[in-house]
Amino acid sequence: MRQFFPVDSLARDSRFNQITMQQSQADPRTVYLGTHDGKRPKSNRLTPARPDASDAARGLMHGIFVGEIQALEGAGRTCHDFETGNSDRVDTVPFALKLDMARQAWDEARHVEISVKLSEWMGTEIGQYAENTVLFEAACSTDPVLRLAGVNRALEGLAIDVFTTMKEFGDIAGDPYLEFCEDWMLADEVTHVKMGSDWLRRVTENDPERRKKALEFQSVVDKIFSFGGTRSDSDESPIGLARRFRELAGFTETEVSEIADVSLRALDERKAFAAAELHGDGGSSSGAS
Amino acid sequence: MADPYKPRAPFAPWDRRQLPGLFDVEETARRVGNYKWAEMKLFEALGGWVATVPELDVKMRLGTHCYHHAWHAELWHKRLPELREMNPDRLTVPANDGMVAFVAALTEPEAPELTIEKLVGVYRVFIPHFISAYTFHMNNTSEITDAPTIRTLKLALQDEFEDWRDGEMMIQSLIETPEEVDRAAAHQAQLEKLLVAAGGIAGPGSIGGQ
Repeated sequence: MRQFFPVDSLARDSRFNQITMQQSQADPRTVYLGTHDGKRPKSNRLTPARPDASDAARGLMHGIFVGEIQALEGAGRTCHDFETGNSDRVDTVPFALKLDMARQAWDEARHVEISVKLSEWMGTEIGQYAENTVLFEAACSTDPVLRLAGVNRALEGLAIDVFTTMKEFGDIAGDPYLEFCEDWMLADEVTHVKMGSDWLRRVTENDPERRKKALEFQSVVDKIFSFGGTRSDSDESPIGLARRFRELAGFTETEVSEIADVSLRALDERKAFAAAELHGDGGSSSGAS
Repeated sequence: MADPYKPRAPFAPWDRRQLPGLFDVEETARRVGNYKWAEMKLFEALGGWVATVPELDVKMRLGTHCYHHAWHAELWHKRLPELREMNPDRLTVPANDGMVAFVAALTEPEAPELTIEKLVGVYRVFIPHFISAYTFHMNNTSEITDAPTIRTLKLALQDEFEDWRDGEMMIQSLIETPEEVDRAAAHQAQLEKLLVAAGGIAGPGSIGGQ
């Protein structure tokens, strides 16, 4: 088995359809362009009041499902890809970090199980929506610290936002089954983010340059994982920023504010990108399903 | 109620634990170090394989079992300093070069079409050898002086039995043709020969008879 595993080799059965981030972002159906025509609400936040709430919730749940698969794969790869050592070389990780990654693999496996059952409950079939593999890409770095920053801090941070939104959706929609499950997954994600914050600090304790590089990588990934503004404080984003749970997970107030700014900028960029695609003057093809 | 001041035997009539055991502190530490190394190699392999298997149910089970073996490695890691090994890394080693060769062969399959080989290596070869080595250790160490090791062995064995059953059921559900039966058997034989040459998880004497 190879030491590092490329994203285009991720093993899937025949039901799955994988797309790129660019294809996903070019889909004009998933962004509110601000041309209010009376058919779409002013807010794009995922609530049961939205006319397309059922399908949007199913799509998001499928996104959670494939995201959990990739998070499981990423945590598993971090158990495998690096030698056990004291982290003085970038190709080694402490034994205890590997144990945490194995624990995370189990948690993510449970999340896949939960999201499969929830998808079934919501009337979705596996493969009904496309799979964006950008999540696993963040777990492909050859520096484990960058994986922690990209996956545990950025991606799992996004998961906190997504689960909070879905939990609220379940609450408002009167679906205790959904709310119950999302609450449990949310508890795990807070743990994973905290794990990432703790290890990032410990491993880079005597290496400020490496820490700086990791935090820069996190910022880039945060922007990517803002899914072009799908997650932000704005009501135009379907997913809100879960400030309280992020603080529980070890994010400082400044860090949360920075993520909020990055997300809003990503939303503006995406609106421009999607508008260009809609009017036919974009440079890429729209292959999202 | 019985008189609380009446002298009682220190060991109740139903407590038949024996003091003598086959392993001294040093030998116990050596075995525990070998167990930790083997559990680590197993959880690393399971974690690495998650991304390589297309079968969704198998993918999820490998993630779950990955943690079970990481936890066993952690338990052994914590036991080592209690056995006078203050630097657990010193004893976290393979029993011999044969074990290194076995793990190299075990982890060799990567292609998505090789799920049967991956599972056979773990659930028909490696885990059965964990079960036998742990059972031998549990049944032969001092039930009183080495009670902490016995407790860990029992916890680990509980997982090993359940994971073995999970794995065997996955293998049976994947094997559909006589050719696949042959594939599984051939891979099992190849790995079993390597493990026999190594003498087991803790080397020769893993299950006695040295």
